[in-house]
Amino acid sequence: MRIFLLEDNELYARRLEYHLALNPENEVRRFSNANSFLAHLHEAPDCVLLDYGLPDKSGTEVLKLIKEYDAELPVLIVSGQEDVSTAVDLLREGAYDYIVKDDNTQDKIWKAINNLRETVSMRKELSELRAELSTRYDFQKIMGLSEEIQKVHKLIAKAAQTNISVSIIGETGTGKELVAKAIHYNSPNSKRPLVSINLSAIPSDLIEGELFGHEAGAFTGAHNRRIGKFEEANGGTLFLDEIGELDLNIQAKLLRVLQEREIYRLGSNKPIKINCRVIVATHRNLAQEVREGRFREDLYYRILGMPIELPPLRKRGADKLLLAKHFLSTFTKENRLPGLKLSKAAQERIMAYPWPGNVRELKAVIELACVLAEKGIIEEKDLNYNSVSDEMDNLVDEGLSLKEYNRRIIQHYLKKYQNNVVQVAQKLEVGKSTLYRMIKNKELNIN
Amino acid sequence: MSDSVYDLSQLEELGGGDMDFVNMMVATFLEHTPGQLEEMKKAHASGDWATLGSIAHKIKPNVDMFGINTIVQDIRDLEQMGKAGESGPDMDSKLAKVDQELNKAFVALSER
Repeated sequence: MRIFLLEDNELYARRLEYHLALNPENEVRRFSNANSFLAHLHEAPDCVLLDYGLPDKSGTEVLKLIKEYDAELPVLIVSGQEDVSTAVDLLREGAYDYIVKDDNTQDKIWKAINNLRETVSMRKELSELRAELSTRYDFQKIMGLSEEIQKVHKLIAKAAQTNISVSIIGETGTGKELVAKAIHYNSPNSKRPLVSINLSAIPSDLIEGELFGHEAGAFTGAHNRRIGKFEEANGGTLFLDEIGELDLNIQAKLLRVLQEREIYRLGSNKPIKINCRVIVATHRNLAQEVREGRFREDLYYRILGMPIELPPLRKRGADKLLLAKHFLSTFTKENRLPGLKLSKAAQERIMAYPWPGNVRELKAVIELACVLAEKGIIEEKDLNYNSVSDEMDNLVDEGLSLKEYNRRIIQHYLKKYQNNVVQVAQKLEVGKSTLYRMIKNKELNIN
Repeated sequence: MSDSVYDLSQLEELGGGDMDFVNMMVATFLEHTPGQLEEMKKAHASGDWATLGSIAHKIKPNVDMFGINTIVQDIRDLEQMGKAGESGPDMDSKLAKVDQELNKAFVALSER
């Protein structure tokens, strides 16, 4: 249980911290003033021990702020004053308990925290159920009718039935995390936690602490014991995103953990058994990384498990339009916009564009188009592509005929030069008559 | 232990033989309490009874924790007097005693 202790008496705080940390399941963080505490409230403590008499804010004020942030977070007030009316007021404001500082304080707190444990685990279960609900909804988003995605769907269902390791390979924006969630929340361990960590987002010297946890004093700045992601995911699923970015020396440690099924917190020589399914994901070709010496071969085989390859959006045929319509209706509903339709030209453009940023890019483009659209219709001009990949690659990826490429280029220049055929013909070094013929045949549009 | 100026048995019991914990607590006590004592004396000199009372309130659990038994009652009296704004010779003598005993404890603890 993660306990935040807000107490300005350093000695008293340290004594309580020591006492509470005697239970290895407790992770205690000390704060000596309200402001530093409030700045860390987003780190989701399971409960708060709040000293009533703080230097910068009264206990009542802090309690109100906590309750505004999260009305269900249990707050135990610890006070040096035996003032019944204050106690009653605080309990009325939503304090979980009111404990007077005396010789038995720490026993009372110990008991109160033990009683809380059940409440906290129910709270966690509730939030996991909520997450599960929303993930089921998310799961719909990786659905599609294309053969490629139906294959993925079948693999997800198979992976969910057992606790086999899974490796998800796919370009950026294809929905790798959604697949991990779909597997977890459809598995028998769905009630247990799904813990995700993006390995590319954490500096390499901090990754070990994040994964395996540390004891207080394990390194400079490690003031408290901290539980790592492997322990947090106990009984559930650990999702290691961007595994291809892991340093070779951490790869060796990870391999050992996966083989022995036990971890050591940094600064401790006590092994802790782990019991969680591991799902990894990467946008890299790991086999290639192994060949080039950047990824350990033994780790590769250990994590490969069931490989699920997510197809890029450009290979998903009509799913592009299906997803575009789905994002369109979700966005308009969420923002209470009137119903919008995609023009025929816009639909064709969505089908033809290669979507280097995949589903993530499609979603962003559609949402922007919903905002830009006028008269209830999304036109081709409302689709703004801000792809970071090479324009030529994208163009070539569309796989059009040379005739169609020519038509596109001429159309582009006509637009640029306000339909001045003479100017465009000079620029592209083609005959004016060719352009006039194309306009006449409606291959080019000058409206 | 030197002539019962302090008694660490409560802390030792809590630490369950973990001397690192006891040493850390002693170091924290020596780091924070002398400053608090000085603040309390300053508040007394300037007639700020409320501040005196609130500092006494903070020192109180530390006095208990370190078993500085000769002033267990005096520090509580100072807290109450400060709260009620009752100054007078009684307050002066109690503060002098607290000052003297805490200083003895500081010396003894730093020499242990």
